[in-house]
Amino acid sequence: MSRKRKISLTEDELVLSLRNREKIAVEALYDMYSASLYGVISRIVTDTATAEDVLQETFVKIWNSFSGYSTEKGRLFTWMVNIARNLAIDKIRSKDFKNQNKNQELENNVTFIDEQRNTVYKPELLGIRELVETLKPEQKSILDLVYFKGYTHVEAADELGIPLGTIKTRLRMAIMQLRKHFN
Amino acid sequence: MENIKTYTESGILELYALGDASPEERLQVEAMAEKHQAVKAELDEIERSMQLYAEHNAVQPPEHLRSKVLDSIHAGDLATANSKDNVIALPVQKSYSFYKYAFAACLVLLLTSVAALVSMYNRLQESNTQLAALRLDNQHFTNKVNLMDHELQIFRDASFKFLKLQGTAHSPSAQLTIAWSPVKKEVMIDMGSVKMPMNDKEHQYQLWALVKGKPVDLGVFDKNPDSAAMKEMKPIAYADAFAVTLEPRGGSPSPTMDEMMVIGKF
Repeated sequence: MSRKRKISLTEDELVLSLRNREKIAVEALYDMYSASLYGVISRIVTDTATAEDVLQETFVKIWNSFSGYSTEKGRLFTWMVNIARNLAIDKIRSKDFKNQNKNQELENNVTFIDEQRNTVYKPELLGIRELVETLKPEQKSILDLVYFKGYTHVEAADELGIPLGTIKTRLRMAIMQLRKHFN
Repeated sequence: MENIKTYTESGILELYALGDASPEERLQVEAMAEKHQAVKAELDEIERSMQLYAEHNAVQPPEHLRSKVLDSIHAGDLATANSKDNVIALPVQKSYSFYKYAFAACLVLLLTSVAALVSMYNRLQESNTQLAALRLDNQHFTNKVNLMDHELQIFRDASFKFLKLQGTAHSPSAQLTIAWSPVKKEVMIDMGSVKMPMNDKEHQYQLWALVKGKPVDLGVFDKNPDSAAMKEMKPIAYADAFAVTLEPRGGSPSPTMDEMMVIGKF
């Protein structure tokens, strides 16, 4: 890291200083969560420049609408990742992005569709090896589809041709596995 | 507790944590979490796991993005601060233009007032002039009325005798009427009745009374065609006759008989 050390606070400290509109809080927020949020954004928005825009918009929105967050609603990260996911989905559904992608479509149709609709596990994207053993592939594909790709479980059921009940069960089992793993 | 167990196992908490709950479901989960500590703990565990999962799947954004994001947030705050300033500045702008309009209105009012004042002053002057003229007229009328009143008294007064003096051989067409009250010893010339040539600047007419053959001076007068007044002459209590001669201006001690214009006897 060429930059000075990253700022890190506890979640309570962070929430408090964000409420007080302290500039240092934004830096801490960025240093603590930008990579996790960018992980979600970059899986939905594959174009790097656009993904970077969405990350920027996400932090601006978190900062501007922070009064809308309360600790009773759950963890700060859950609130933030929902903002990031929604902005990313809005972006790929927006006219500009669709027009932009039509141009791509002419050049590289197959690759583009493959990237957009890719639900297959990609080790180079998802990183950690132990998790591969922890999650069964069918659990992981559904979890990633919903959590990272922003599919609803109904859409995921359609996409994968699996009954809705099964989807729900697999999601729950996947998270149970994760909890076991992280504990 | 059985219900809560069923609720936590229903899968709704997982959907909530994954951001896949409907707005109604979200409110319900939040209400349940607030009410039941077990639900809250379960939800927190799920969320924590997902957060850790996200961290494991984290992708480091490019180095340059950090300052860009922080700058845009600071710029946004500045813009908000500026827009707040604008909100404050707006009434100031309003009051500024209010004073501007008020000043303009005052100026217009002032100019109108000055114009009105000048106009009023002129009218006042005009009125004063007219008033002075009317007063003068009034004075004239009063004088005239007084004069006529005086004349009327003469005509009413029974003691006054009227005598028409007739032209002499020297001036046969000349005529003059006098009024004389022996009681009041007053002698008047009716200037309206003077039918004699205009006298020049060197000469004046002189009225004489003949008392027992001797002429007595009763004063001088000029012929004035504009006057119709009764001109009061020197008083005399007794006279046999009256005569007018043309004399050098100021009159003579004794009459110039050659220049006798009119004469009349009682």
